[in-house]
Amino acid sequence: MSFELNRKLAAPRAPLPTAANIDPVTADIIRGAFETVCFEAATHLGRAASSPIINSSNERNAAIVDANGRLAMGAIGTPQLTFVNQMMVRWALMNMAEYDIGPGDVLLSNDPDHGGGHLPDYCVYAPVYSADGELIVFVSLQAHQGDTGGKDPGGFTLEATDIFTEGVTFPCLKLVHRGARRKDVFDMVVRNNRFATIAGDLAAMIGGVEIAAQRLSALTAHHGADVIKAAINHSISHTERRMKEEFSAWPDGTYEGTVLIDADTMGTKDVKVHVACTVQGDRLTVDLTGTDDRQELVGVWNTFANSRSYVMTQVVAMVDPTIVKNEGVFNAVEIIIPEGCIAQPPPNKPAALGSFHPACEITEAVCLALSAVVPERAQPQLYKIGMPNAVIGFDANGMWMDQGVDCRSMDSSAVQGIDGWGSCPASLGNLLLSEAEDAEARFPILNISREMTTDGGGAGQWRGSPGSLNVKQVLSPTMAMAWMVSADHPLRGMCGGDDAIPYSNHFEWGSPGQYKIERTAQAQLPQDAVIAYQHGGGAGFGPALKRDPKAVKEDVLDEYVSLDAARSKYGVVLTGSLEDYTLEVDHAATEALRQQMGAAA
Amino acid sequence: MTYRVGIDIGGTFTDFALLKDGQVVLHKNLSTPEDRSLGVMEGLGKLAEKEGLDLTTFLSRCDAVVHGTTVADNTLIEMNGALTGLITTEGFRDEIEYRRGYKEDIWDVRLAPPKQITPRRRRLTVAERVLHDGSVHKALDEDSVRHACRQLKKQGVESLAVSLLFAHVNSAHERRVSEIAAEELPGVAVSLSHEVLPRAPEYDRTSTTVVNAFVAPRVTNYLERLVTRLRDGGYPGQLMVMQASGGVMSVNYIEGSPIRVLASGPAGGVIGSAHVGTAKGHPNLLCVDMGGTSYDMSLVLGGAAPAEAGWNMHHRYLIGVPMVKVETLGAGGGSICHVNAGALQVGPRSAGSEPGPIAYGRGGTEPTVTDALVMLGILSTEEGFAGGSFRLTRAGVEEAFAAIGAEMGTSAEQAAFDCWRVVNANMSQGVRRTTAGKGVDPKDLVMLAYGGNGPAFAAIQAEDLGISKVLVPKASPTFSALGTLVADPAIDEERSLIAKANALDLPKLRDLWSELCDRATRYFTAAGFAKDAVIASYRVNMRYAGQNFSLTFDIAPEGKLGDLSFVKDGLGARAIAAFNARHMAEYNHIRDHEVPEVTGVRLASRVPTPSPSATGGAVTPSTPPAPAKTRRANLGQGFANTPVYLGSQLAPGHLVQSPAIIEEVFTTIVVYPGWQAQVDAAGDYELVRT
Repeated sequence: MSFELNRKLAAPRAPLPTAANIDPVTADIIRGAFETVCFEAATHLGRAASSPIINSSNERNAAIVDANGRLAMGAIGTPQLTFVNQMMVRWALMNMAEYDIGPGDVLLSNDPDHGGGHLPDYCVYAPVYSADGELIVFVSLQAHQGDTGGKDPGGFTLEATDIFTEGVTFPCLKLVHRGARRKDVFDMVVRNNRFATIAGDLAAMIGGVEIAAQRLSALTAHHGADVIKAAINHSISHTERRMKEEFSAWPDGTYEGTVLIDADTMGTKDVKVHVACTVQGDRLTVDLTGTDDRQELVGVWNTFANSRSYVMTQVVAMVDPTIVKNEGVFNAVEIIIPEGCIAQPPPNKPAALGSFHPACEITEAVCLALSAVVPERAQPQLYKIGMPNAVIGFDANGMWMDQGVDCRSMDSSAVQGIDGWGSCPASLGNLLLSEAEDAEARFPILNISREMTTDGGGAGQWRGSPGSLNVKQVLSPTMAMAWMVSADHPLRGMCGGDDAIPYSNHFEWGSPGQYKIERTAQAQLPQDAVIAYQHGGGAGFGPALKRDPKAVKEDVLDEYVSLDAARSKYGVVLTGSLEDYTLEVDHAATEALRQQMGAAA
Repeated sequence: MTYRVGIDIGGTFTDFALLKDGQVVLHKNLSTPEDRSLGVMEGLGKLAEKEGLDLTTFLSRCDAVVHGTTVADNTLIEMNGALTGLITTEGFRDEIEYRRGYKEDIWDVRLAPPKQITPRRRRLTVAERVLHDGSVHKALDEDSVRHACRQLKKQGVESLAVSLLFAHVNSAHERRVSEIAAEELPGVAVSLSHEVLPRAPEYDRTSTTVVNAFVAPRVTNYLERLVTRLRDGGYPGQLMVMQASGGVMSVNYIEGSPIRVLASGPAGGVIGSAHVGTAKGHPNLLCVDMGGTSYDMSLVLGGAAPAEAGWNMHHRYLIGVPMVKVETLGAGGGSICHVNAGALQVGPRSAGSEPGPIAYGRGGTEPTVTDALVMLGILSTEEGFAGGSFRLTRAGVEEAFAAIGAEMGTSAEQAAFDCWRVVNANMSQGVRRTTAGKGVDPKDLVMLAYGGNGPAFAAIQAEDLGISKVLVPKASPTFSALGTLVADPAIDEERSLIAKANALDLPKLRDLWSELCDRATRYFTAAGFAKDAVIASYRVNMRYAGQNFSLTFDIAPEGKLGDLSFVKDGLGARAIAAFNARHMAEYNHIRDHEVPEVTGVRLASRVPTPSPSATGGAVTPSTPPAPAKTRRANLGQGFANTPVYLGSQLAPGHLVQSPAIIEEVFTTIVVYPGWQAQVDAAGDYELVRT
């Protein structure tokens, strides 16, 4: 639990020793089998868990980590979980004897200071041995739990100054010993968690890794341990080679990106994330030196393992998406994170909110830095929303919370050649949003509007997807909580594209008492009060004046872009009638206006 | 003599199964993409010829013509359906574009958006609002409806989807919009969400309705054209059409909800499998269908392949109507073998039927799975392929694999063998993903293999999955066509309401089921079936509050249409008990402190149909005649001279030892080392591990 431990956990790992030579086809067949084992484990978890975060929203992941602590296969789930779990397994690997880890064991970790992300991301994992007792791999499952037993339900405390405020921490806890459930330990974990379904969810995670461990044992027996190890080595080195081939095609140089967060949860302004990406031959270095290290900041601390993971989430978004995600991606990239900055906090800092900000600003800064290098893949993988408005009320059955999480359209930026589209960036795309008809049947809420706002996306040669304006009315007195960021510093445009529009949030909207949320809010709303949350939308790519005028015309017809903005942002003059769908581009006038605007700029 | 004909159109072939006197006659010809009804008529002509009849006489003797069509699927693949508009509730214009946040590939930031059936300018909103209990919060502003219709008319809209919030609870506003649309948009087809998919939530219902509107005109035109051709050809009966739910229904019914034919082809195969497998005493089946372009996998458990309505994504749109669950992998005979960044890959791209594999000799230049089988000696280049319609060639095949071998550092033969290994592995992983989360271990299932290419891989697949028995029906290559013949005429519909299961409004439930019964009665009667012949399954959709998806199960024993005597006090308690049992089976836990909610009622009604007998069972093993020839082939253990049997020379009881190849008219069965094949009493093949 120290910077020194972080260094040890992140140190490069050697290939597995093996006497076997393997042909690429056999190696790839074994890789496919590993991937399917991950799918089976994640599916089992999704089926057996009762938390809707896991079984409906899909916030879960399965991975295989080899005996040297290398990510051998990941995974089915959210990228940031994929790239964290091996760090927790490495802590167990450093303590095999001390913790008496052996066949049939199942372990639990979530400790931010021992390789973890934030506390809610429980990692449950099990070792797999060959018939003659050699450790081959660990199989691990991660899932976001609804509570962590800290001060506030859910595990997020705006004013937390240490990890103990946020909940119970497990560096490495044995849940199952040699195949036998440790009920005392299990009950202790369950007792320290408010979430009603934690016992079932934890049991589902244990069941999932046990099934996967059995399948991996069978695979090892079928192919032989040496062949399995050779297949892992082959797959990791193949990925490393593929990553390096991608980097080799990038021009050498150092590319920088700086992104600011409006403020921490206590109002300290302009929290900075700085990234320098250096491409040299087939090497990529991502250096976070220059990132904010003011120790008094509150809420904006991202764990070391999480910071590495978010760097990698963005880097893999910027290479061939078919490259297999394993330790090879880390082997190909050097990540430098200064000790003590908000991306590698000193021990015991809170970790919950840091997984949103600055974690997402790390992906944004990496993307910004590399946007000129890989313009065709320069879409930041993030959520710029501070947090969705939490709408909480009480009825005869106790507390309820509107499950209709306000996210509709946010942060889908353009890349070169493709306008931003859909509800959110790609890497969040397996989380399923709930709908108004489900939410309103359960809660005294009326969803009034969730449409995209015309001109709500950053302009550009390729356009960001417009953010949505989410308007809802509470039909009984209700509490609402909010945390605002990305208003002063909205999502950045790429390669000359415009930034997204600022997030903005109003309570008691349309009434004489209407007010704007500047930073945080914890408010009592009267019956029939309306809240309106404008999401920032995606940013643009490339200069708006270069957008094909015909595409602008189509955007105006679709009301993504207004006639005014067509002229003022894009320099496109249209004739005809929007009402009658008879718009045409006045090419001569457009050319003249663009020249004039270009000269003025 | 009377006939029943099942017809299934696939991407490559159009398949026919003719039933006469309990006997099945098969035929296959290439599909005719430009007008698929031509291929149908051509095949019917061939069947008539085989029977020694002219087409008119043949058709006049047909009791039933049952058809599985891919016209809706093709419309979505080619995205060339009707110019479609959407009218929805104000504030909800963009749900169809948000897709509940879903993107198909979380790693690929260059994934292109799905082509929008209703771009934003053609999805217009109207002022109105119904609440979750059906009460009207804001009356329908008819002027806004007329304005929306006029705006759509200016854009030349041909088909209109209407999906208003909570229309599944109170459809008055949707119905009024429909009336106004009839005035303002004469001649435009209208799809109403409360009719197409009467349940929450809004994205699911809207997506299904929009796709229905998009495919409706083409499906209707195609079916009308086929009906006309059949009538002109002399067929006196009603054309029945396969639905994705696994039942067939009259053209009249389908035209009211054309989306129900989407993905119906694979469903036919599964229904056929369930029928054959169960008759042979194997009610738990892994059904695998390897055709020209894909490898389809599905499960039959307890003799049934239930239709599920849930997160069914087809061609990037959510289709919420009940469908037999079929997982698809891009691994068929036409799947292209290629090297990608040093890794050998097979599919998902397919050479289709034009140009097809190199071995088809139709100009294909990229090596496919079929070509690999030719290289390995598994497929013959001597005799006619696909029932003698043409002959495979080796010309160009070896060169293509030599090119792959050069990239991978191996010989052409090794490259072909590696392609065989890769496609095998892909299929095994696909099966494991299909069974994952179902509480089923593949090794406890019997594999039923069909499709033209299925039997060439079946036993090696089974070996990989720990399965010890494989059935290969002799009708294997035209199984989907056979499936349409054994499928029952069926209607599966639902109505929505949301209520705590311990506080059910029984009169309301009775009304909803009555409405479903009335619809079923009307359509079955029109299709020529007596109401008394209909078997009704009354079902409910239930979930715990907060779950995204409901479970569906029977709430009463199968009974008569319209007999709602089970709707009485105690229904709620029975529903809760049945739901908890179902939840435990599906998810392995229940929330015993929570009262689940009913989200809808469903009626699955069907008329049992005469089916071909599909028995089998043990016969005394006997020695087959000597193999017709031998061929140099690699069955996974290197090239060796391999006995080749002709299916036409094998009879019930004949036991073929491995290694061997059995050439059937439309398919090739491989008896891999460690396996043996026996012809059962019905003439079907049973492969078992020795």
